[in-house]
Amino acid sequence: MPVAASAIYFLNLRGDVLINRLYRDDVSGNMVDAFRIHIMQTKELGTCPVRQIGGFSFLYMRISNVYIVIVVSKNANVACAFKFVVEAVALFKSYFGGAFDEDAIRNNFVLIYELLDEIMDFGYPQNLAPEILKLYITQEGVRSPFSSKSSDKPCPNATLQVTGAVGWRREGLVYKKNEVFLDIVESVNLLMSSKGSVLCCDVTGKVLMKCFLSGMPDLKLGLNDKIGLEKESQLKSRPIKSGKTIELDDVTFHQCVNLTRFNSEKTVSFVPPDGEFELMKYRITEGVNLPFRVLPTIKELGRTRMEVNVKVKSVFGAKMFALGVVVKVPVPKQTAKTSFQVTSGRAKYNASIDCLVWKIRKFTGQTESTMSAEVELISTMAENKSWTRPPILMEFQVPMFTASGLRVRFLKVWEKSGYNTVEWVRYITKAGSYEIRY
Amino acid sequence: MAPPPAPPQKSPSPSQPSGKSEVSDLKLQLRQLAGSRAPGADDSKRDLFKRVISYMTVGIDVSAAFSEMVMCSATSDIVLKKMCYLYVGNYARCHPDLALLTINFLQKDCHDEDPMIRGLALRSLCSLRVPNLVEYLVAPLGAGLKDGSSYVRMVAAVGVLKLYHISAATCFDSDFPAVLKSLMLTDPDAQVVANCLFVLQEIWNLEANKSEEASRERETLLSKKLVYYLLNRIKEFNEWAQCLVLELVAKYIPSDSDDIFDIMNLLEDRLQHANGAVVLATIKVFLHLTMSMTDVHQQVYERIKAPLLTLVGSGSSEQSYAVLSHLHLLVMRAPMLFSSDYKHFYCQFSDPSYVKKLKLEMLTAIANESNTYEIVTELCEYAGNVDVPIARESIRAVGKIALQQYDVNAIVDRLLQFLEMEKDYVTAETLVLVKDLLRKYPQWSHDCIAVVGNISSKNVQEPKAKAALIWMLGEYSQDMPDAPYILESLIENWDEENAAEVRLHLLTAAMKCFFKRPPETQKALGAALAAGLADSHQDVHDRALFYYRLLQYDVSVAERVVNPPKQAVSVFADTQSSEIKDRIFDEFNSLSVVYQKPSYMFTDKEHREPFEFSEEIGNLSLGQESVGNARRYDESDKDLLLSTSEREENGGPNTNGPAAAGYSAPPDYNSSLVSLSSQTQSETAISDPGMPKHTSQMTLAIDDLLGLSVPAALAPPSLKLNPKAVLDPGTFQRKWGQLAVSISQDCSISPQGVAALTTPQALIRHMQASSIQCIASGGQSPNFKFFFFAQKLDGPPSFFLMECIINTSSAKAQVKIKADDATASEAFFALFQSALSKFGVL
Repeated sequence: MPVAASAIYFLNLRGDVLINRLYRDDVSGNMVDAFRIHIMQTKELGTCPVRQIGGFSFLYMRISNVYIVIVVSKNANVACAFKFVVEAVALFKSYFGGAFDEDAIRNNFVLIYELLDEIMDFGYPQNLAPEILKLYITQEGVRSPFSSKSSDKPCPNATLQVTGAVGWRREGLVYKKNEVFLDIVESVNLLMSSKGSVLCCDVTGKVLMKCFLSGMPDLKLGLNDKIGLEKESQLKSRPIKSGKTIELDDVTFHQCVNLTRFNSEKTVSFVPPDGEFELMKYRITEGVNLPFRVLPTIKELGRTRMEVNVKVKSVFGAKMFALGVVVKVPVPKQTAKTSFQVTSGRAKYNASIDCLVWKIRKFTGQTESTMSAEVELISTMAENKSWTRPPILMEFQVPMFTASGLRVRFLKVWEKSGYNTVEWVRYITKAGSYEIRY
Repeated sequence: MAPPPAPPQKSPSPSQPSGKSEVSDLKLQLRQLAGSRAPGADDSKRDLFKRVISYMTVGIDVSAAFSEMVMCSATSDIVLKKMCYLYVGNYARCHPDLALLTINFLQKDCHDEDPMIRGLALRSLCSLRVPNLVEYLVAPLGAGLKDGSSYVRMVAAVGVLKLYHISAATCFDSDFPAVLKSLMLTDPDAQVVANCLFVLQEIWNLEANKSEEASRERETLLSKKLVYYLLNRIKEFNEWAQCLVLELVAKYIPSDSDDIFDIMNLLEDRLQHANGAVVLATIKVFLHLTMSMTDVHQQVYERIKAPLLTLVGSGSSEQSYAVLSHLHLLVMRAPMLFSSDYKHFYCQFSDPSYVKKLKLEMLTAIANESNTYEIVTELCEYAGNVDVPIARESIRAVGKIALQQYDVNAIVDRLLQFLEMEKDYVTAETLVLVKDLLRKYPQWSHDCIAVVGNISSKNVQEPKAKAALIWMLGEYSQDMPDAPYILESLIENWDEENAAEVRLHLLTAAMKCFFKRPPETQKALGAALAAGLADSHQDVHDRALFYYRLLQYDVSVAERVVNPPKQAVSVFADTQSSEIKDRIFDEFNSLSVVYQKPSYMFTDKEHREPFEFSEEIGNLSLGQESVGNARRYDESDKDLLLSTSEREENGGPNTNGPAAAGYSAPPDYNSSLVSLSSQTQSETAISDPGMPKHTSQMTLAIDDLLGLSVPAALAPPSLKLNPKAVLDPGTFQRKWGQLAVSISQDCSISPQGVAALTTPQALIRHMQASSIQCIASGGQSPNFKFFFFAQKLDGPPSFFLMECIINTSSAKAQVKIKADDATASEAFFALFQSALSKFGVL
């Protein structure tokens, strides 16, 4: 039985129940105590997100300062359960308009109870789409006693929407100005060996959209990906225009995308939900343009001194710039004193994470910047425990740059009323896990 | 849901009410508001209700306010209603009398004009879970299933399942399953269909064992008609309902290959779905549908690779963990699958340790000739990791890879470098590995021993590592000049050694060393035996006594027992039988995969009493049952496990091979095992009267023994087989045609053996462990036919070919052997028979 949950608990970091909802009778007794005693108060916390205690399985996740715990007694569908939690949190966030934490739960617990009732019934996930739920679960929810009941008709409509052919969009939307915002957000993951060679690197990208369109528009998106271009040239029987084509390793789409059409014609066509949503996700491993090169030289001078020299080169276009660049260079725990010299930005020693943190607010393309630091260490008795050099970590955002080289070639909007639309396209590349060993 | 039986809240925060006064205060306020029609009444009610619910959430019993809450429930405010329903659902079961009060207003709400209210009321009505109120459920449920609003029908469908769990009889009497069935096939709303589907699935699954009709109904859920009907509508379902449908389709048995391809073509695009749960469910369908088609099954593996790798990298770490568990299962079945994608499993610094651990397991599993170098290099990076458990895990991974590979040269060097890192835990883990390596590749002893000899035993504290070091000291004492002296100093500190495991190894190592370098070890052995005999640990005491008597009985026998000619271990025990692995695979996309055990091992006790759990917590039973279950399983599977493994943990390394026979003590000795230690001592006293003189006498005895010439070791088994023999089917066929039958014999099989043969795979694997390879097998119960071959290890290449026909119904086996060297075939047959008997067939 693909049950996803028998009960769901929201706990704070002390283990107090913020909210709980028991969906099935097979879970009873005091599960929270079990969780507290066997997971929270042991070293096991965080060693594994799925644990079995006395015939019950606990699947838990920490999100900011809240533990969300799912308890089941059967052989549940784990992937589904975790996905459910992730989606539920996204739903709550869209209701609270922002953070999901202990305070938000305390302030909205009635709403959460309402939602928990709707999104799962007897352990089976029902409907978690915010755009539908918002039609009939409103924070106000007051039916004024003076208004006639017949005017309150969105409800039956809403329930139809739950599963209709275009379940993610309701009819009759009207906007004065029809606009589409499209963001390509990529995160680059890199693992560089101490010899300066790339051990592995890949890009995971998302296409995020925000649609404010009237009626039931049909959208078509063209990217410079290899398969799409080849198919197009095949159909139009003309050779591919020269220029970079991108090979996507794998793509997943929002449920609004017509997958049959994608498989036959390789075009991304869809009727978008209203508002914000994630249109597609992709993964690329070949031909990744790394935006930054990091060249560290770290010398241990005797037992009590270290010399750290880090050079960072930006290798994207000279007209572009990166924002929020942070380089974290780990240093030993017994660091006593540090002194820095930087060509740009500011550097300091952060003792709580044992790192030299170098921040550069704006980093122009095709430039380089260096930090040299001297680190003095307290000499300790445990000399032979040599320091295990954790990798240097880097954070950044580069607007208008895609590490994969992916570009939007066109975004067409077609609606039967034939209105004009304004399309906005943005690109941004962020650091995922950007690690450099030395 | 019952309020917890234990004290509800151990550390109430200051804002919470401490006693009953707040509750009675609430009651009073609620009562005042109950009849009020003032404009602001609903708002104040809301605040009060909120307070009630928040008390309820933190575990304070507010059931005293039940009647007041019900009185206030007559409202048109939907939020108030919901809070009231929640409250009622929470307390109804432990206050059935009060629950009766709510029936009225809930039934009334079930007829409200607003479908939202109808649905909510029906859901709450079904969630009361009070057995004697079921009669009030039937009518609203029946009406709900026919309601014009899909929302109400959706709720009603689940309501039927809730009713079933309260009172199955009422559910069947009202004929609800039949109604659901027709609803499932006709309802225009996909969510209603999905809910009907899982309700029927759950009901018929639980009923299937009770009546034939139910199991027939369960079958119809898997009929082609229904499966196709659902598949054709799949795009109408939301992502969660799609998971349900796909789960059902994975159980469907296709009629022919067209059927399979139709379904796969239809579902192909589901692999691109944004919801990972849908993707995994689709993968399950693909894998299970193609089980019988080897080629297509392989193609499926290729097809699902990219989506799986995407799932690993996207989503939260918990999701990655779930996906990686599945990947691990797949890799065990098809190791080549990800061998070129190994870089995806490199650990990121920020990965949580549970993800890192699985990644390490993946790297170990996919290592092969082409990628070993890179993988081992990467693993060595982690050995210095800050996260010590991960560092240990990665060293173990390097060792496991070494045990899998032919070319271990480079890996051994790496391992030996670990020893130079001079970190205690690294040294400890490495020592254990080096020991295992030497058991498999004795040829490396020279290089390893040179390095191991330099390790000071003082730096090794962990029992497992210490035991490994001592084992090596004993086994290779002839190559380590200091061995007797290190052992001697260890024996001197006998009393400080806490782990029995280490003391056991010390005894054995002292014995081994004694036979290799008698004059140097004699004193240490005497001290070890004396200390062992005085040891409070039963096993240590017994082993010391056993060695002592063995030496007394006959030194040459003792040497044969302690230092028998050893065969290198070719295959280390696989902890799971293939049957278990197959069952886990059947349960793809569930907890079984994460736990790496089939569901019956962790869900056996289906109907728990509500309060049982709190007792279990009292006993701090960490998954007791499951452990018990696993153990039980172990026992039933013992034959298989034992035969493929050298179970070392308890017996020490000298228990394998021919020594095993020597190790089982004579019967009189066994009886003394039961007796108390004082009795054992008196027994000892018979042979050497007076305990004080014990040591000196023993040394004397050994001195005597030393005078005897130690006879040459017993001749090794006359035939050794090459564990890595290779023969291609063509050559096998040619040879089979050319050679004459050298042995043809019939033998009978034990009933136990017949049972074991229900999975011929197990026999094949077992034979492989004995260096007898299977080249072809087939047949259907009761007739099985196997073709085996083996190759002589030493001398010119000489093969043995064998045909083995087993009839399980008559419990007979017919064996024909052909050999390049016909003279050796007797010996081979003996080997084969002993392997068979270990499997439990003879």
